[in-house]
Amino acid sequence: MAARGKIKKTFTDPIGKNNPVFAQILGICSTLAVTNKLENTVIMSLGVIFTTTLSGVTISAIRKFIPSRVRMMAETLIIASFVIIVDITLRAYMPEVWKQLGPYVGLIITNCIIMGRAEAFALNNSAGLSLIDGLSSGIGYAYVLIVIAFFRELLGTGELWGITILGDWWTNWAIMVMPPGAFFMLAIFVWVVKGVVIKEEEEAAK
Amino acid sequence: MKKDSMFATRVYPVLFMVALTVVFISVVSGIYLTTKDRVLLNETIFQKKAVLYAAGIEFPEDNSQEIQRIYEERVSEVDGEGEQPNYFRVELPSGQTGYAVYVRGAGLWGEIVSIFGFKQDLETFTGVEFVEQNETPGLGARITEQWYKEQFRGKRGPFELVEEGTSDAADELDAITGASRTSEAVLKIANKAAEVAQAKVEEGGE
Repeated sequence: MAARGKIKKTFTDPIGKNNPVFAQILGICSTLAVTNKLENTVIMSLGVIFTTTLSGVTISAIRKFIPSRVRMMAETLIIASFVIIVDITLRAYMPEVWKQLGPYVGLIITNCIIMGRAEAFALNNSAGLSLIDGLSSGIGYAYVLIVIAFFRELLGTGELWGITILGDWWTNWAIMVMPPGAFFMLAIFVWVVKGVVIKEEEEAAK
Repeated sequence: MKKDSMFATRVYPVLFMVALTVVFISVVSGIYLTTKDRVLLNETIFQKKAVLYAAGIEFPEDNSQEIQRIYEERVSEVDGEGEQPNYFRVELPSGQTGYAVYVRGAGLWGEIVSIFGFKQDLETFTGVEFVEQNETPGLGARITEQWYKEQFRGKRGPFELVEEGTSDAADELDAITGASRTSEAVLKIANKAAEVAQAKVEEGGE
């Protein structure tokens, strides 16, 4: 059984200073693509959390049997299977959302966070720790996207979750819902977070 | 087993991948098969709702049995060579006979598939529903919003685009601010819709 400290670190690292999106700059493709509507972002994030968690556990559980020269094939197969399960489930039970997300669900397969965690963590750690790591990596990804989507949808359409928040006086910033808006928001997010985190670390070092 | 034996380097990885593939494909296929009927039902209900909506017939949004009943009462499908019905003959709320047809055209990112409903004259729209589209979420994809679709009711082409929220005359269509290309694509589709419908209905011998 791993020490409690390690479990806690495994959980907090990907949410805080080792965040996959703003520290490792992984998974940017979907960060840019799905963050112009909060609803799509939340569903997408749930899909990613589900996939990172379960693929981490599965890969970790069979890691001793995976021959190292085919490990990437095996990882991709496992990840792809979980993503297709998400896709089929959405299609059967939430067809409206499935239609809106379109190809993005399938693209979770190529989300580098999942492959990255499989390679860097699940192959070397127990299934329990990999579960925590997958979960927190997914959460770390999700909350960054949700923050970005919150501002993009609000500023770009004056709505949140399809409900009008800002009144008629608000002029929509069309750029926010277009791809460049995502670059701006992500950059601002990274700037703010790094400004705060780095400052704290520097002060702690003094 | 020696590390560099023939078995460990050549045979075992292949066997491992085969076994892993079989396991995961079985799981995914199993889930696919158990949800297949539901997905199919979702799709037929989706099409039926689209036809009813385009014809301006009211239906309860979430009651699939009721939707089926209203559809069977009001709509008869006229088959052609394609997979989908060539056109739909509809009993409009006014008691007149109307028609609904699939109209396809190029959008900004991909094909836009729509169902247009017509009055008996095959000129005047009873409404439209966009069945498939890949326009930019938050911009072009707003063609699927109520306010946009509702403007088609009672209009007749050929159309011209006017600024968002200002269409008034029977031959004016609202454009979407920030989505000029999508607005133009829909304009093209709407302009050819009557011709498509007339050709199909004539082909059906009416």
